Amino acid sequence: MTSAAQTSDAGQRHAYRVLVRRKQRLLGLLVVLLLGSVVLDLALGPARYGLDEVVQALLRPDSASAQVRVVMWDIRLPVALMAVAVGAALSLAGAQMQTILNNPLASPFTLGISAAASFGAALGLAFGVKLLPAVAEYVVPLNAFVMAMLAAFLIYLLSRRRGVTAETLVLLGIALVFTFNALLALTQYFASEQAVAAVVFWTMGSLTKATWPKLAITCSVILVMLPIFVQRAWALTALRLGEDKAASFGVDVPRLRLQTLMMVSLLAAFPVAFVGTIGFVGLVGPHIARMLIGEDQRFFLPASLLSGALLLSLSSVVSKTLIPGAIFPIGIVTSLIGVPFFIALILGKRRSW
Amino acid sequence: MGLQRRWAGALIAVITVVFLAALLIVSSQSNRPTETATSLGTVTVTDLLGRQVKVRAPVRRVILGEGRLLYVVAALDTEDPIQRIVGWRKDLIQADPDTYARYRGKFPKIADIPTFGGFEDGTFDIEQAITQQPDVIVLNVEAQRAIDDTRYVEKLAALGIPVVYVDFRHAPMENTEPTLRLIGKLFGKEARAEQLIAFRTQEIKRVTDIIAAHQPARPKVFIERIGGYTTDCCLSFGDENFGKFVELAGGRNIAKDIISGTFGQLNPEQIIAANPDHVVVTSANWEAYVPGGYWVGLGPGADPGEAARKLEFYPRRPAYTGITANKDRAFHAVWHQFYNSPYQFVAIQQLAKWFHPRFFADLDPEATFRELHERFLPIAYEPGYFATLDRSDK
Repeated sequence: MTSAAQTSDAGQRHAYRVLVRRKQRLLGLLVVLLLGSVVLDLALGPARYGLDEVVQALLRPDSASAQVRVVMWDIRLPVALMAVAVGAALSLAGAQMQTILNNPLASPFTLGISAAASFGAALGLAFGVKLLPAVAEYVVPLNAFVMAMLAAFLIYLLSRRRGVTAETLVLLGIALVFTFNALLALTQYFASEQAVAAVVFWTMGSLTKATWPKLAITCSVILVMLPIFVQRAWALTALRLGEDKAASFGVDVPRLRLQTLMMVSLLAAFPVAFVGTIGFVGLVGPHIARMLIGEDQRFFLPASLLSGALLLSLSSVVSKTLIPGAIFPIGIVTSLIGVPFFIALILGKRRSW
Repeated sequence: MGLQRRWAGALIAVITVVFLAALLIVSSQSNRPTETATSLGTVTVTDLLGRQVKVRAPVRRVILGEGRLLYVVAALDTEDPIQRIVGWRKDLIQADPDTYARYRGKFPKIADIPTFGGFEDGTFDIEQAITQQPDVIVLNVEAQRAIDDTRYVEKLAALGIPVVYVDFRHAPMENTEPTLRLIGKLFGKEARAEQLIAFRTQEIKRVTDIIAAHQPARPKVFIERIGGYTTDCCLSFGDENFGKFVELAGGRNIAKDIISGTFGQLNPEQIIAANPDHVVVTSANWEAYVPGGYWVGLGPGADPGEAARKLEFYPRRPAYTGITANKDRAFHAVWHQFYNSPYQFVAIQQLAKWFHPRFFADLDPEATFRELHERFLPIAYEPGYFATLDRSDK
């Protein structure tokens, strides 16, 4: 009897090990695909440089001609890496939103963060409003960021009230989305035609605004948040089994939810402020990850990060190759690429989210 | 019973009085148009969408769907450009405050013209329009979709208010002349409109004749649209508007085959790959939108030194690294509002002079613009519409 139990125990352990190895292999595959996509993003462009020139400019910038150096270091690299960073940040934020709200439709923008950011940006673009003092280049991103944080703070205040459940939070978020959308429309109504064009363009999202400092800021936000999420991986996994179960494991659910909300807000606010609203990644990245790898946060977290980064990196490649020489707004491309893939995954898997 | 009947009688009396009063008000209101109608003849005009529209002309009360139509109106009604305008959109006040300020200085009543907002071109409050009792409403062609959706034209037609469509923006080279002629006819200023058309045609020919005769090699040109309005790079024009102006001036617009419509955005890298010989930035004073931004504050009375100083920012943009224009310091800035104005021929002359200085040594765009002001406009010409980098050190 003991030996039978031992063998089944050993069998389970073996099965678990196989499962873990399979997940690790999937993560590895995502990393390889992401690297491939970034290389493609760096190699392609209207200035047709050979691969040797590209590699040389990247590895030994001093030996490359000034033009190749600028194209690689000031144009292609910031955009390619910004795609990865923004995709990763938004997907990670979306993954945690879906986890804490227990809602497959949640995304970083469910709480009105992107609507608020758009409104902040529009205030700057239409009326030159500075919410905080900043140099001209950063007025619009800073406005967007301030408004996004304001939305997050409102959610924070509201969710600290008694008896606020995940459903209430989603509903409050929807109320905020509508509020800020109405404010955005109001701004546009009073704005001049150039301002309206600029606002519309901003809301479609564009990676061409990427610069090294913006990239550094986005990356550092991810690097600060990621360890905190990793540390809480078990608690968050438990939350997916249900709030009561998680509470019975000793997880302080309201506290965990509130803190995660604030981290998600930061994680979403920076990329949105810098590149505009590219909302779809935050919704779909985590779903792709979940369908590939499951709920275990230890794997789900990196998988979300990678699938979001991959999705946006591929979109970046497509957005500049679709009409050679022109730039197609990345927000549109992301949705058009992501949706068919997403639908195929949903229909193929036939499982609950 | 008797009491009830008395109440009913009183009610009927009140209703009758109200009805009569309403009738009186309505009839007294409708008096005005019929009175004026007797002194007006009806003309049939063809607008820029090819619609045949009957209008009682010359019109006395007109609503402008775009405030910047003042550029034309001022050339026709030079002595008092606002005499017919009973309503307009706020775009002139917002997008070209410098010009507006000059008209306001000379015609203070311009500030009393009722304005309507509306972010979508052509949206306006139909009730507000009707209460102004205009003889005609002049709209830009891009308003057509919004107007069609609301069926405003039919509703206004029922009240005898015709709508005509004009265009300076989408196909300015084809549509400016018919637009000038159309508004001239509406205002009963056909002769004046023809004079302006003749002047414009002659000034454009001064460029196109020389280009046609000498067939000079066409320099490659990149137009940066609304430079400094956003930090995003490389918004530009396709083969229309400034794209067309560049071609007429003997240049080759590098975005011509890339941007399919009038407006679009180029990949910054594409500019490096195309290696343009000239970069032309369209800009204006956008202090109200982007305080301290990288815009070049062009417009009437702009400080040339300050404009040149702000233009110095552009050669440093990554998208312009190593291009010929950078080596030659061939960076120019031009007043953005030329894109939506009948004065665009002045910009064409200036572009030609920048692209082919040898052939256009004796062409003076400033003098052309000054002559336009002296002959057609109520305000004095003030330079400040162009800037170019100082090349003396190269």
